Amino acid sequence: MTENQQDTTGAVVAPKPTDAVSAPKPSANYQTIDPAKTHAVAEFKHNFPLTSCRVSPTGRYVVAGAQDLDIHVWDLHTTEKRTLKGHTSWVRSFDFSADGSQLYSACWGGDIKFWNMADADPHPTTTIQAHTGSARWVRLSPEETRLATCGNDLLVKVWNVADGSLLQTFSGHEHHPYAVDFHPNGKHLVSQDLMGHIKIWSIESGKQEREIVASIMTGYDKKFAADMGGARDLQFSPDGKGFASAGISNVVNSFAGVQDPIIVLFDWKTGKETAQLKPEKTFQGIAWGVRYHPNGFLVGAGASRSGKGELWFHKPGEKEFFHTLKLSTAARGLDLLPDGQHLIVAHSDGAIRKYRMTAEAMEL
Amino acid sequence: MQRNQGCNPLDHQMARRQFLAGTASGALGLGVLNSSATAEKLQSQHRRILQVYLQGGVSQLESWDPKPGTEFGGPFRAIPTSVPGIHISELLPQTAKRMHLLSIVRSINLKTNDHTQGRLFMEKGRRAGEYPYIGSIASKYLAPKNSELPGYIHISTRGLPDATSAFLGAQHGQLKFEGVKPPSNLAAPKGLNQSADARRNQFRLQLNKQFGLGRSKSLTESFDASFQQAEKLMARKAFFEKAPAEQDLARYGKHDFGRNCLLARTLLENGATCVKVTHHGYDSHAENFNFHLEQLGECDTPFSMLLDDLHERGMLDSTLVMIYSEFGRTPKINVRYGRDHWGTAWSIALGGCGIQPGAVIGKTNEKGTAVADREVDAGHLFHTTLQALGIDPKSDHDIAGRSIPIGDPTAESIKELLA
Repeated sequence: MTENQQDTTGAVVAPKPTDAVSAPKPSANYQTIDPAKTHAVAEFKHNFPLTSCRVSPTGRYVVAGAQDLDIHVWDLHTTEKRTLKGHTSWVRSFDFSADGSQLYSACWGGDIKFWNMADADPHPTTTIQAHTGSARWVRLSPEETRLATCGNDLLVKVWNVADGSLLQTFSGHEHHPYAVDFHPNGKHLVSQDLMGHIKIWSIESGKQEREIVASIMTGYDKKFAADMGGARDLQFSPDGKGFASAGISNVVNSFAGVQDPIIVLFDWKTGKETAQLKPEKTFQGIAWGVRYHPNGFLVGAGASRSGKGELWFHKPGEKEFFHTLKLSTAARGLDLLPDGQHLIVAHSDGAIRKYRMTAEAMEL
Repeated sequence: MQRNQGCNPLDHQMARRQFLAGTASGALGLGVLNSSATAEKLQSQHRRILQVYLQGGVSQLESWDPKPGTEFGGPFRAIPTSVPGIHISELLPQTAKRMHLLSIVRSINLKTNDHTQGRLFMEKGRRAGEYPYIGSIASKYLAPKNSELPGYIHISTRGLPDATSAFLGAQHGQLKFEGVKPPSNLAAPKGLNQSADARRNQFRLQLNKQFGLGRSKSLTESFDASFQQAEKLMARKAFFEKAPAEQDLARYGKHDFGRNCLLARTLLENGATCVKVTHHGYDSHAENFNFHLEQLGECDTPFSMLLDDLHERGMLDSTLVMIYSEFGRTPKINVRYGRDHWGTAWSIALGGCGIQPGAVIGKTNEKGTAVADREVDAGHLFHTTLQALGIDPKSDHDIAGRSIPIGDPTAESIKELLA
């Protein structure tokens, strides 16, 4: 593992390539966020390919799912790695409480588990058999009292965080829902399925309020007679005026990974698409992550069919990404650190890599 | 196009009439299967085959040989089945409840990762050469002479017809249906009454007779076979015209594969001998897990309903069921969450006529990367299937006086799989 370095203010500087004793000296614009200058600053390795990641709101922990049954936790302050055991299938989605003390995880087996991250050796404090078939997504409500999940039983469910009891069940998806999120107002849920059907549910009425059909995010593979699509990540903008969905488009031969990654932005009020963002045509694959940066720009991450990765950056109102950073391995998960300067990517080579969105530090 | 006239160089390499081997499990091994007594006995028993072909190569790790929690195990869990001790993937929950009707072979090594080679090996029981598919063999030896349906019917939603009958003759070739759509031009032309149609057919036969004088029989027999098959289907066109019962659709599913399985049931109930139903979409070099969720999720219920219906109708004793592919998929998961072609250590399931139910034959190693016990290939499976149907795979086809071994003479049946 190559450790990141932090000074007493918490600022992260470039990693030591070896055990060199000299510390890098920050450059003048080292604190200025500039996505075009994004570069890797730290790496944390696991011995299985990673599948997903999440950063705790305090910025202390990075958790990752992998092609094994465990949750892998890195403490960014100490670089210590812990392994949380308890799931019986791959873990595919996480969320944290605002203080970072509680972790919620969802696995392909359909279970949701709660973990107390303050424990020295966390074990599940609550386990819910949430869905028949995979539990694909878990999100904590803004007021932190409810969890939303979706799964292969075609249901979206809302759970009481206090006792793990089921509060609401929303049915209506005819194909597997891939992701669900709370609107920041806490009154609505949005879920998107394999066929690009985005359902907006009213928590108050317990019913579907409206539907957006993002047909560009699904495709039928004629050769293999199967559908391909789904949201691989879904997030609301902080102001709740829109949301972003990452996935695929232009299905040609999905069984060989021949389709285009896409990030689609939606206007919450009208339900209309406001942008369809695609990388260069040579990059065929899947968009696995999307995040709204507090400064207003959007970050996306994806994996190509040849196993490479890319990070994409988009400014509001523009039709294309303004910057692309090529990565040597596939990006399968994306999250931002609360400092706004760093992002985390879960890679297919088993690495969590930390990227800094500023100019590189100057070496002495 | 060169027509297969029942003779090719490879045939001449075959030992003639190398039979007289002992027979087992009631297989009718009289050396040459065309002897009338043997043929009549087989045909009177009217054993059948239902082939459910998962095209592209279903993953053994996501179906019959799950390895959860291992390096290449993937995200899915293993679930118990109706047979104590046998676990299969959680993607087949309905099939798991019917495991007592099936057996699994977990130790297949085809030594090929090629779609076509794997498919032909699985269908013909031989790695190379122009030999008939098992469906064509069933058509020739198991179909009653007075059968009202073609002997080998394949229901699929895409793909071209295969050349399946080799030297057995075109009448035993596969007739392909595009899903539940009736074959093109099934109905007689408007204005053509039954009498006129009969006269037209008589005239055609006369012309055929004259044309065939001094020519090889095989030049005209395929045309005759086509007319005969069309006649049979025209007589049974209600199969296609009558909408399935709602309660059946509710059980099987309203998707294409559910409807295709329902048609397969109807055909088997009405005297078809070999019915093959193809479910496409398993060649998952990318997104293997999501695709297997979707595809096996669609396959599991109609396949289980078919098993139930055959069982409840008392047909399973006389119908061999096989659910298979051309190979499995690599244990190693590639960077696209895909699994690639893998003929080295994979599985199929069989049940029904002549098959010992509730058995697991062979095993793979802990990670699923190699066969650990009882390695078999498609030659063994071919012998086993024929034996189970009562056809001695060590006997010969008699093709115009030439003897051609039905099964690969170097292969054997998997005896512990036979009932």
